[in-house]
Amino acid sequence: MDEVQIIFILVYLLTILLSATKIVPMSVGAMIGALLTAWFGLLYGVFGYDQAMGFIDMRLIFLLLGVMIVVEVAERSGLFRFGALYAVKLSGGNPSILFVSVCVIAATVSMFLSDPTAMLLIAAALATITKLLRYDPVPYFISAMIMINLGGTSTLIGSVSNMVIGLQAGITFTDFIGYLAVCELALWGLTIFVLYMLFRKRLGTKKELPDFNPWESIDDKKLFYRSILILALLIILFLTLENLGVGPEAVALGCAVAALAVSGADPTDIFKKLDWETIFFIAGFMFVVGGLQSTGILADISNQLFQSVGQSQLGSAMATLWFSGLASSTVSNIAIALTFSPIIGGVSGLASPAVWSALILGTNLGGATTPFSGAVTMMGIGALKREGISLSFAEFTKVGVITSLIQLGFASFYLIIRFNLWV
Amino acid sequence: MGVNTLVKRWIDARDKQPESEYEEVKRKFEMALGTPFITICLEIPVGFENFKIEFLKLEKDQQFHEEVKDLIKKRLLLDSRPKKSS
Repeated sequence: MDEVQIIFILVYLLTILLSATKIVPMSVGAMIGALLTAWFGLLYGVFGYDQAMGFIDMRLIFLLLGVMIVVEVAERSGLFRFGALYAVKLSGGNPSILFVSVCVIAATVSMFLSDPTAMLLIAAALATITKLLRYDPVPYFISAMIMINLGGTSTLIGSVSNMVIGLQAGITFTDFIGYLAVCELALWGLTIFVLYMLFRKRLGTKKELPDFNPWESIDDKKLFYRSILILALLIILFLTLENLGVGPEAVALGCAVAALAVSGADPTDIFKKLDWETIFFIAGFMFVVGGLQSTGILADISNQLFQSVGQSQLGSAMATLWFSGLASSTVSNIAIALTFSPIIGGVSGLASPAVWSALILGTNLGGATTPFSGAVTMMGIGALKREGISLSFAEFTKVGVITSLIQLGFASFYLIIRFNLWV
Repeated sequence: MGVNTLVKRWIDARDKQPESEYEEVKRKFEMALGTPFITICLEIPVGFENFKIEFLKLEKDQQFHEEVKDLIKKRLLLDSRPKKSS
């Protein structure tokens, strides 16, 4: 390893440290890393200015912006709130059914919304309903945090890390479903079962629900139906992308324009609500990884990793799943996805559907292991605190570690069966 | 200092979601699930500036709340009566 490679590794580690500890906001940490990468890269002649301009994959930025705009319009229509209210109504005041409904709706909502936005919505619903029915909110909140993290794993647009890996690996919406849909469904069922077994004694007794109509929460029914149409259109176009001859970013941006046109909302207001922190974090971090890639060190790691697992698909997939899973429990899963994608893509023997699927599962499943693991756990604990309830580090971690290990264990089993890795 | 205290401090410092946003979303659920309510912002009437302390106390004065409720009932009943055609 030469001097330049050591400098770039130190810059990368500094960026990871800044984003993990959040000494400065994540986006600022990533941009500090990008600035240092640009400075040292140009100084040592590792890359030229024009080459550096290609480090940020604009397809990913456009995909993110498009999806965020469509989802923001849908959220304004009250669509997700309606879903949460309906889940409560369906329970009929039975705590077991309410628990399962909350778990399912939390995961479903997070398939579309970003994890913090999904947590905000579900936390508000849970705070209201548990107070009304005088239930202990802790089991419901912890389960919602874990299910929101899991829900994001379930589609190509469910989490930012999925979009990163999908674009880098060239995985389409239909590929994703083919590789992982069965696993996701099984993980939902398994996780709800485990959470129910852990919390069944704390869920409360059957209570009479107040009479309410979820439709009354919708202020603008036209916008509500239009939002459903645009979301459906987005999914249909993603599913038929191969016939369109364009990338997912084009579909997302097209649907975003349609959503802005039909919503009648002030676009400035919608643009303000987009998650710019994540977008700038991704742009900065992509630059840092691009610089690291230019030094040739990621290619070396790819080759060494492939050699160390004996050039075996089973070894590569398991190492990727468990390493990325454990790393995501402490470091941002977007950073893990951005770092691992070029490593896996760097060696043709590594870049197989099994290893890409392992990376998708690993980066997501580790995200709700401890209160530090991601934005969703921090937001959930913050919301509980606002309700006057203090959740200890140990109480969350005990459940988080159990569910993460079970999920990663099941994912290992699934990958071996689905991709015939034992052969 | 225990681990829990450290964790709580760390999370508190990083929980950037504005409280008002959470309260706004929660209010929508409360409106849908519970008893509907309204929040109105009333300024002290002109000419009564010397009664500032008494005015501020009204916010927590239960008797005043009941009087406002009676006013609301009257208003709602009045509004619900069929209007005479001109």
